[in-house]
Amino acid sequence: MIKKLLIANRGEVVARIIRACKTLGIGTVAIYSEADRDALFTRQADEAICIGPANPMKSYLNLEVIIQAAQRCGADAVHPGYGFLAENSAFAHAVIEKGLTWVGPAPEVMEAVESKCYCRQLAERADVPVNPGTLEPIQNVEEVYRFAEKVSYPVFLKLDKGGGGKGIEMVKADAEVPAVLERISRIGLAAFGSSDCYIEKVLADPRHLEVQFLGDHFGNYVCLGERECSIQRRHQKIIEESPSPVVDPQNREMIFDYSLRLARAMNYQGAGTIEGLRSEKGDYFFMEINARLQVEHPVTEFLTGVDIVKAQLQIASGEKLDLSRSDVRIEGHAIEARIYAEDPMTFQPSPGIIEKLDLPREGPNLRIDHALEEGGSVPPFYDPLLAKVIAWGSNRTEAIGHLAEALNEFRIRGVKTTIPLNLSILRDEGFLAGNYHTGFIEGLLV
Amino acid sequence: MEVSINAHMPGLVARVVVKEGEAVKTGQEVAVINCMKTEMSVVSHVNGVVKQILVKEWDEMQVDNPMVILESKEG
Repeated sequence: MIKKLLIANRGEVVARIIRACKTLGIGTVAIYSEADRDALFTRQADEAICIGPANPMKSYLNLEVIIQAAQRCGADAVHPGYGFLAENSAFAHAVIEKGLTWVGPAPEVMEAVESKCYCRQLAERADVPVNPGTLEPIQNVEEVYRFAEKVSYPVFLKLDKGGGGKGIEMVKADAEVPAVLERISRIGLAAFGSSDCYIEKVLADPRHLEVQFLGDHFGNYVCLGERECSIQRRHQKIIEESPSPVVDPQNREMIFDYSLRLARAMNYQGAGTIEGLRSEKGDYFFMEINARLQVEHPVTEFLTGVDIVKAQLQIASGEKLDLSRSDVRIEGHAIEARIYAEDPMTFQPSPGIIEKLDLPREGPNLRIDHALEEGGSVPPFYDPLLAKVIAWGSNRTEAIGHLAEALNEFRIRGVKTTIPLNLSILRDEGFLAGNYHTGFIEGLLV
Repeated sequence: MEVSINAHMPGLVARVVVKEGEAVKTGQEVAVINCMKTEMSVVSHVNGVVKQILVKEWDEMQVDNPMVILESKEG
């Protein structure tokens, strides 16, 4: 088993990983930038090391400095959390080269799944349905014209190696194609080191579904249920829930089967997520693979009782997965709201100092993942995610009720938050009826 | 007279979009600040000519940090 883990991240995910480490008796090391010097998460870890200035390029994204810190403090493993270096295969390679354990899938798997075209080809070979589009990066604008002629506009142009909602644009006519293609290629080259793009058909009002799975080093795989993540704005998720209100038991078995086929085809180890779309008509399409822990993993944990981070640490330590399909209970309903430090009307960022904080009490129906405290700073340099509030109920209505109650009790002063937006979603009739899709927020704001 | 265009949000300088000697109109974007991963435009509140650029990419900005100095007849 891992003895001392360096957590290469900041904020609430560090707090979350420390919790799992405590249950396994693993020592923890936090790293922090100068902007996070007084942050709560640095005190929650057994040790904390300053790795550089606020600028993330020089701190949380700085491979060499982080690896030096891991070696200096005698850590034997590194967990990347999510965001920052979590999907950086060069970082995973470097960690392993130094003889440390990487808590995540093999760097070769991470590198392969960076390419959406690779994932789409993999799905095609595994006989998993893929949303119509190209399987190879496109070479010229004519390919887009020809594809649009077949399926008709609008179509999506997407970066082969995009992420975080960047590099996805819809085009509605031939005339728009050259400029859009040029723009996203430029973004791709600057942000992801690749200008390759591919085409995907636009599904009308799709739902975004994903399946959480675990795989060990002995060929054992298990699915931990799906998550419905259709409530998004600018391709960023706001509310996630499980089970999905629209997936019936037969379809659930089918998408679990698709997910395990893909995980096996990749020889995937650790926790991973298969993301997909469900069309209005109820067809399911594979979209991409997330080779890391996801922000919304607590939804699945609250529903199934499985500690995903603990499982990651056990798998990385070479332990066998002691879970089978029948051990995974999918009981009741879990739902999560992400609270961002943003103006709820304009989505403008709202950094600042937390002057007052009063959190609802956690219990069997409520979990709050955060690393906030009164007097703490919400720096302007990083992601605006402040906290995740997760509720469980014996059914969906009850779970939504618990979540709304908790959000009403959540008091924070000093920064603006998206709590009012979360609450208006939870009050919406379409949402309450389970009747929504990825365009929901735009509809709500009109 | 010299007019300073200051940061209206804290964050990191994403880029400066004007050059020294360039004529700038009221409302024109002169720089972009990345605040919590959102890009925010910094615009000029006067007509003028860029005299000096005080910041570069990745510099840390606090509210009211001067970013660009313009030579302007307006105040």
